[in-house]
Amino acid sequence: MKNLLLTICALFFSIANAKTIAVGTQFPCKKIKQALLLAVDGDTILVYKGTYKEGNILISKKVVFLGKDFPTLDGQQKHEVVSISADSVIVKGFRIINSGHASLDDPCGIKVYDCTFVKIENNILNNNFFGIYLQNCRNCLVKNNKITAYGKQEQLIGNGIHCWKSDNLQIIANKISGHRDGIYFEFVTQSVIWRNVSNKNIRYGLHFMFSNDDAYITNVFKNNGAGVAVMFTKNVKMYNNYFEENWGDSAYGLLLKEIADSYIFNNKFARNTSGIYMEGTSRIKVEKNVFESNGWGMKIQASCMDNEIVNNNYMKNTFDISTNGSLVLNTFNANYWDKYEGYDLDKNDLGDVPYHPLSLFAILTENTPSAMLLYRSFMITLLDKSEKVLPSITPDNFIDKTPLMKSLPL
Amino acid sequence: MKKIFLTLLAIGFLMSCGSKEPKPIKLNADPCDFCKMTISNSKFAAQLITQKGRHYKFDDIACMIQFAKSNTVVPYEAFFVNDYLKDNSFIPVEKSFLLRGGTINSPMRGNCAAFATMGKQQEYQNQLHAEAITWKEVYNSY
Repeated sequence: MKNLLLTICALFFSIANAKTIAVGTQFPCKKIKQALLLAVDGDTILVYKGTYKEGNILISKKVVFLGKDFPTLDGQQKHEVVSISADSVIVKGFRIINSGHASLDDPCGIKVYDCTFVKIENNILNNNFFGIYLQNCRNCLVKNNKITAYGKQEQLIGNGIHCWKSDNLQIIANKISGHRDGIYFEFVTQSVIWRNVSNKNIRYGLHFMFSNDDAYITNVFKNNGAGVAVMFTKNVKMYNNYFEENWGDSAYGLLLKEIADSYIFNNKFARNTSGIYMEGTSRIKVEKNVFESNGWGMKIQASCMDNEIVNNNYMKNTFDISTNGSLVLNTFNANYWDKYEGYDLDKNDLGDVPYHPLSLFAILTENTPSAMLLYRSFMITLLDKSEKVLPSITPDNFIDKTPLMKSLPL
Repeated sequence: MKKIFLTLLAIGFLMSCGSKEPKPIKLNADPCDFCKMTISNSKFAAQLITQKGRHYKFDDIACMIQFAKSNTVVPYEAFFVNDYLKDNSFIPVEKSFLLRGGTINSPMRGNCAAFATMGKQQEYQNQLHAEAITWKEVYNSY
């Protein structure tokens, strides 16, 4: 009992003792590094407006690091700007610019080393090699940051938010553009990516590697070099995302490679070269998504199995589905296909004749891409029609037995 | 005279189709032929040329080896790896000096860096805390 009282007293004492150190031209403390030397665990460092060129700022104490009116921390293209090596640090309200570039040790705007409960909120990062880098971290939050870089093709640049070997992270409401990958996860588990906007990145908007048990919900991925890639992982949940305008020969709205046991629900794939590309994918449920105005709605390689494609809308795609083999190990059920020409005599809103989503021409172009020249020619249309009636090249069991007559309100 | 010229021309044509030299990689545009990822770091890139002269590009030595092993039909002519110290400069794999592990971080976890000379390999061995390894050992480890 006495011990407890003492602890409580000590707690109050330490709270009362925490001080705020102001940094700015009008204060005795003019430099951030000076304030960091003075500070002890639990203190707040309040940095006022101005430009601070202090090389690498290393935060190795448990402090709250606040910027007032977005003071600028400039790395002068030589240094990593902010490094954090203490737990429970909060970094809020800074403008962090010009980290070092392209050297072997990957300089960052903000890098967190082996920490727990760090919060990085409301910062503006501009022209850094890597934006925010979490290395070996747990229970960290990255929220409301605006991360911009100016990467070009043929040039090496880092990722916007790069997370490596971490768990229980929350990546919320960030805006990222111009980096290599907007958000990159490698060996990250039990984490959530929510309400981010990742546009115009050089490679992927979001990139998962070896990261199990994660979810990404309500994000926008638009106009990235190659869309989004989820690879070598299992148990990933993808809800309510937008995958838009990812154009190019090797660009996909969503690239799935070597992934299992995942759930793709209520996403929109619009105006991509390929909406989803699947390879080595198994036991995935694709439900209630919209595939609209894509070159290919879905490309399912023969190495995929036991995937369920249910209740999706396929509208205005050049090809709804394409595949490179004749083996059919995936099921299609109750999707809406705008190219369906069947009828519904028993009025149960399900077509009475099965739909073949695989057109002859899709198979032809898969094998010889240059055959695309003949698209919409009279002969091809004729062949396509005859193939629908008497399947010869396309597998005859590649069908949706219960196609919907009306599109789903998604 | 005309005949000789024509023959030479024909030989020239035949020689030029299917070059046995590696092609430069277009960064952030060319996809890896095994993992489908866009190649964004040419330090770890690799390239394979078949006897017919077809080029396959990879973002990592691991991808090249797995690709080579998954395909037993097409005979291969040569394997190339990129010099760790120089962008877009391929070395024939038999003439390269390899390091693996340590702090080397490659896109697909092959974690191999290639050098053109033994001197550079030794110089970087300590810096990267990596171990020297031969192409044969790497190839057999997949």
